[in-house]
Amino acid sequence: MESKKHMVADSLFTVITLCVMFLVNLFLVMQFDTKTMTPMIFVLGVFLISWRTQGYVFGIAASFLSVLAVNWAFTYPYWEFDLISPECISSAAVMLIVSTATSTLTTRLKQQEKLKAEAEKERMRGNLLRAVSHDLRTPLTSIYGACSVIIENFDNLSREKQLLLLKDIQADSQWLNRMVENLLSVTHVDAGKVQLSKHSVVLEELIDALLVKFDKHYPNQTVQVEIPEEFVSIPMDPVLIEQVLMNLLENAVFHAHGMRNLWLRVERKNRHAVFFIEDDGCGISADRMASLFTGLLDSEAPVDSNRSNMGIGLSVCKTIIKAHGGELKAGNRPEGGAQFHFALEMEETDHVEQ
Amino acid sequence: MSNNKYKILVIEDDRKILSMIQTVLDTNGYQVLTAQRCQQGILMLSSHVPDLVVLDLGLPDMDGEEFIRITRRSSMIPIIVLSARTEESDKVRALDLGANDYITKPFGTGELLARIRASLRINRMNLQAAMPDNVFTLEDLVIDYDRRQVSVGGNNVHVTQIEFNILALLSQQVGKIMTYSAIIRAIWGAMDEGSIKKLQVNMANIRKKLGCKPGESRYIINELGVGYRMTDARE
Repeated sequence: MESKKHMVADSLFTVITLCVMFLVNLFLVMQFDTKTMTPMIFVLGVFLISWRTQGYVFGIAASFLSVLAVNWAFTYPYWEFDLISPECISSAAVMLIVSTATSTLTTRLKQQEKLKAEAEKERMRGNLLRAVSHDLRTPLTSIYGACSVIIENFDNLSREKQLLLLKDIQADSQWLNRMVENLLSVTHVDAGKVQLSKHSVVLEELIDALLVKFDKHYPNQTVQVEIPEEFVSIPMDPVLIEQVLMNLLENAVFHAHGMRNLWLRVERKNRHAVFFIEDDGCGISADRMASLFTGLLDSEAPVDSNRSNMGIGLSVCKTIIKAHGGELKAGNRPEGGAQFHFALEMEETDHVEQ
Repeated sequence: MSNNKYKILVIEDDRKILSMIQTVLDTNGYQVLTAQRCQQGILMLSSHVPDLVVLDLGLPDMDGEEFIRITRRSSMIPIIVLSARTEESDKVRALDLGANDYITKPFGTGELLARIRASLRINRMNLQAAMPDNVFTLEDLVIDYDRRQVSVGGNNVHVTQIEFNILALLSQQVGKIMTYSAIIRAIWGAMDEGSIKKLQVNMANIRKKLGCKPGESRYIINELGVGYRMTDARE
C-alpha cells in the first residue's frame, strides 16, 4: 500500500518536473532564441527527479525522456526525431551519462544514509542488551539468594528475618517487572517501524494516572504538580509516555541525593506542551552527562549499591520521545538539581464544547 | 458462615499462578474452584454455579473473550479478567463484551481481593436494586437522582444535564469500571468520531466542578485509555 502510494507520487513528480522543464525551455527559446541552455535545464530536471524519487527507475526514465525531448523539439530538424545525425547521437549520449550518473549518485547517498541509521540503531540495541543483562542479573541474584536462604533455613530463621527477606523478594520482583516493561517498550518502538498506538490523551488524566501509580510505589515522596488550567489534549501513546514520566520521576528518587522537592510541570508553548521534571538534589555530574542516554553503565559506578536502572531507563525514554517527534533533554538547574524536559505537539481543541 | 462462603471460579492455565490465587482466596474465606481450560470452566460454571469468575485472557484451548461471550448469553455473573500489559486493547474489548473488571499482571494479592470484594458487592447491590431515598452518597459527595442535584460538602454544584447523566451513570455502577464506549452509548446513544473527546471534555468539567486534583483519585478514578470508575469508598 505504502509503496504504491510512493510510486504514484514519484511518477507524478517526474511527469510534472519534465513538463515544467519543457515549458521553460520553450519559453527561453522563443524569448532569447538560444538553445545553449536547453540541455542544462533538462539535466537540472533529471537531477531534481533522481534526488526526490526512490531508486534508479524514475531518474533513468527521466533522462531518456529528456534526451528524446531535446532531440525532438530543440535540435534541428525541429518537431521531428532525428536519431541518425552524429551530433544528435553524441549529445544524447552525454546527456544520458550525466543524468544516469546523478541518479546513481543520489540513490547511493540515500542508501548510505539508511545504512548509517541502521548501524546506529544496531549499536543502541547492543548497548541496551549489555546493560540489560547486567541490570536483570542483579535483582535476580538477590531473589534467588533470598529464596534459597528461606528454604534451607526454614525452621531456624526467625519470623522477622523471613519477613524481611520476603519483602526484599517482593521489592526486587516489582523492580524487575518495571524493567521488563521498559524493554517491552523498546521492542515496540524499535522493531523496524515505530509502533505507537497513538490517541488523544487528556493531559490531566495522564498526570492523574501517573501520580496514582507513583504514589503506590513511593508513598513517601510527594510530587509538586503544575499543569495548565485549560483542557489540553495530546496525541500520544499513553502507556509509553506514562512510562517516560515514571522513569524520570523514579530517577530523581534514586539518584538525586539530598532532594527535598520534586516538580512535574507542564507549560504551553505555542502548539506544544513542554514537560519539565525537576528536582533540587545533587544534579548530574559532567562525566555522567556524557553517557547519560547511551544505556551504558559507567564502569566505575558501584554495581549494586543503588539501582542502576538509570541508563536503560533514560535511553528508553529518549527513544520513546523521539518516536513522538520530540527530544528528551537533560541539564542542571542554575539553583541546583537536575532538570529533564521534552515537548509534545498538542491537538487543536477549539470546537469541542458539547 | 462456613457454608455461606462465596464460590469463586478461577480459570487460568499457568499452574503456579493458579495455585497462588487459590491460596490467597482460600485463606481469605472464599471457596475456590479451578479450571485450566476454557471448556472445563464453562462446564464448571453450569454445574457449580459460582458467585464470581476470575478469568485469564490467554488460554490455550479458547480465547478468554469467547468465554465471556458464551457466559454472557445466559448469566450476569461478575467476571474479573487477568491481563498482561501487552494486551491493553484486549482489556477494553473484554470489558465491552461484559467483563466487570480487570487486573493487570503482575498483581498484588491486596488488589485482587479488593476487586473481588467490589465486584461481589456491586452484584449484590444490583440484586437489591435502587438505593435508599434515591440518593447516592460517597464521602462528602451527594447525588440526588430525583431532584437531579449534586452537592459536595453540603454545597450545591451546578452541573449540566450531560454532566449529571454521566455522574448518575458512574454512581449507579459504583466500583465498576465503565469503558468510554459504554458511557458514550448510555449518554449519547451512538458513538461517532468526536464522542470520546466530548466525553473527556465533560469529565474534565466534572472534575473541576467537584474539585478533584490530579493524583488524589477522589470520587472518580480515571483508567487511562480504558474508561472511568467511581471509587468505592469501602474498598
